[in-house]
Amino acid sequence: MKKVGIVGAGITPCKSRWVERTYYGLSQMAVKECMKDAAMSIKDVDAVVFGIYNDIFEMSAIPEHPLQGIIGLTNKPGMRVTNGGATGAYAMLAAYTWVASGLYDKVLVLGVEKATDCFDFESMTETPEVIKTIGWSGDTFFERELGWTASDSYAEVVLGYMDSYPNDLKPAVSAKIAEILCAQAKHNEFAQRRDETVTAEMAFNSRYVVYPFKLLEMCVYTEGAGAVLFASEETTRAICKNSGKAPIWISGVGASNEHSVAGPDYRRHKDMGRIWSDHISSHKAYEMAGVKDPVKDIQVVELHDAFVKQLQITMGEMGFVPVGQTDALVEEGIMTPGGKVLVNPSGGLTFGGHFVGGSNIFSTWSARREMLSRGFKRGLVHGTGSTVSQYGVAMVFEQD
Amino acid sequence: MKKVIPEHMNPNVESEIVERGGQKYLQTNEAMFTFYKRTKGEFSKYFLGLRDEKKIYGMHCPKCNSTRVPPFELMCPDCDFAEMKEVEVGDTGVMNTTPPVTYFAHSLFQSWVPFGRGRVVLKGVETALPIHVFTTKGVLTPFVFKKGTPVKVVFRNERIGKPTDIFAVPQSELSPAQIAKSPLMESDLDFSAPDEPKLAAGTAAHKASFAEALKMLTALAAGVEKSPRAQHNLAGWKRSVAVKTAGGNLSMLIDDGKLAASEGLPKGLTPDFVMVCEDPKLLVEWMTFKEALTNAIISGRLWISVNKEFTTIFKLDRLPRSTHRDAK
Repeated sequence: MKKVGIVGAGITPCKSRWVERTYYGLSQMAVKECMKDAAMSIKDVDAVVFGIYNDIFEMSAIPEHPLQGIIGLTNKPGMRVTNGGATGAYAMLAAYTWVASGLYDKVLVLGVEKATDCFDFESMTETPEVIKTIGWSGDTFFERELGWTASDSYAEVVLGYMDSYPNDLKPAVSAKIAEILCAQAKHNEFAQRRDETVTAEMAFNSRYVVYPFKLLEMCVYTEGAGAVLFASEETTRAICKNSGKAPIWISGVGASNEHSVAGPDYRRHKDMGRIWSDHISSHKAYEMAGVKDPVKDIQVVELHDAFVKQLQITMGEMGFVPVGQTDALVEEGIMTPGGKVLVNPSGGLTFGGHFVGGSNIFSTWSARREMLSRGFKRGLVHGTGSTVSQYGVAMVFEQD
Repeated sequence: MKKVIPEHMNPNVESEIVERGGQKYLQTNEAMFTFYKRTKGEFSKYFLGLRDEKKIYGMHCPKCNSTRVPPFELMCPDCDFAEMKEVEVGDTGVMNTTPPVTYFAHSLFQSWVPFGRGRVVLKGVETALPIHVFTTKGVLTPFVFKKGTPVKVVFRNERIGKPTDIFAVPQSELSPAQIAKSPLMESDLDFSAPDEPKLAAGTAAHKASFAEALKMLTALAAGVEKSPRAQHNLAGWKRSVAVKTAGGNLSMLIDDGKLAASEGLPKGLTPDFVMVCEDPKLLVEWMTFKEALTNAIISGRLWISVNKEFTTIFKLDRLPRSTHRDAK
């Protein structure tokens, strides 16, 4: 396997609705920014992997096909990846393998999603139709018709965790994390909720959307695009020398998809009280990167926080705190300002934005930015997705 | 005949201009739809079992002795794809985990709210069956079902071969005869005797809050008369509501765009449902935008006697803001 580096990244502003752009235009914007960041021409890119989650959002069964030409990659290989919420992370995993295998030298990853073109003509608002559209992601034989939604699906997992660990996930802790994420989003000029101020008290008192998820402790719907460029070691050094930016290496990758049907043994079915996909994927990535203790070895984490309580469980599964004691993230100052690990400096998906196909690319853009600006040695990016947090991907980034 | 896509969900063919930053953008009403005659294939036995036989079938692996419901696979991947056999399973079990309860559903499922979507481990079965969960004792809250709660599967009176043909209720709400009966039908259940929470004796603070709430509710009712938005919120809706608190009782009457409030329980008629909250301060918080009644139900501060009347609570929740906006 060849060493793979990240040589450029660019994102669009995250907005609840882009009336001014289709996903074609958003894609061009992100790719342009990425190439500008890498200080190179798209003509020198060898291949592209597209991350687009939901055909219905884009209103096309092959939504990537019009993008190939308009991003300047005519006659070059392009492949779409779709893996629920983890689409962006899986797209990056695919691009990583293309470069690491030696098949291609410079591979672009483009994640893009529209969402709020969907519109419910009964309530005359977007949200119910967006939820309905995502609802087609549930099991269509046994679950969707029971009213499956993404939020109640993740709530199932969190409630299962709370059955096992009733003293963890205290409401005050989740509310404090929401406050931290909100404050961090103010330093991200592309964050969707940059102008909002949410205090722990406001989050604590916000209404339930589905128990135990409160309105100010869950992600938003976003339209936007993000792009990152991967290259082989020699090429990475050459590009970075030209751009003046330090190389960020992908030193560990891991992925895991759990069973979708619940049962008592996680090796055979879904253990509803755990997120084993996060545990397995992160520990695979650690093993590859030589990470022994994530709290000591990793300085910045950009994790897929669809819901704040899921962020806590994921941090437990990834070994930053013990599973069942994730309130330590706040109570022991692990992720509070000045704490041991910087978690979601972008504001995360909760306050930064969640354009599903590209959200993990947004996270990568942020983690790389923090590593370059603060000189962090290691970073971690995580993606989760599908029903009952079935899919998990983790990538460890490293700086020389 | 019921349509696959309800007519009222279908928008007109129209377009419009939306302005952003001084620029004009065009958007058009569109839909992405596909009709299916979708086979249930290898799941047909299961769904026909629900619809016609009122029985639950699973798949059993003779090698690892595992029985799985729903019968989502023909062969056991844990035993190198050993052929599995259809088996009938029982209709009692326990909740796999605490189930989520949906209160704010999109258009396809709004008529059911609040509903629970849980997973039941039937007796002798390895996997958990996704299933609706309901209570016969009033509104469904997140606290009715827990991991391990013993439940009984109930068959709908009208079944069409879908997952919604069955639902589960707590065994604690059933008689021994009902638990033993198979199949237990929806019509065998009594939804008319909810468990109304007992109220403690009212304190002086409760009484003071009640007086304030009644005064504010009377003002809200007057505000509805002047608010087109609030009248729209209550259009076509008729309900008589008894509200019981530790500080006193009151009545609300909703009548097609109008709201009336008075002290004491409804006289001369049986209310459509009962609202119970220990502290009448909740009503004050509702009318001063500090707490939503829907949220109070989810968090356990407010109880209503009829599950489906959550829709009425949802309408009531809109009134303070509607009257406030129209007054401005």
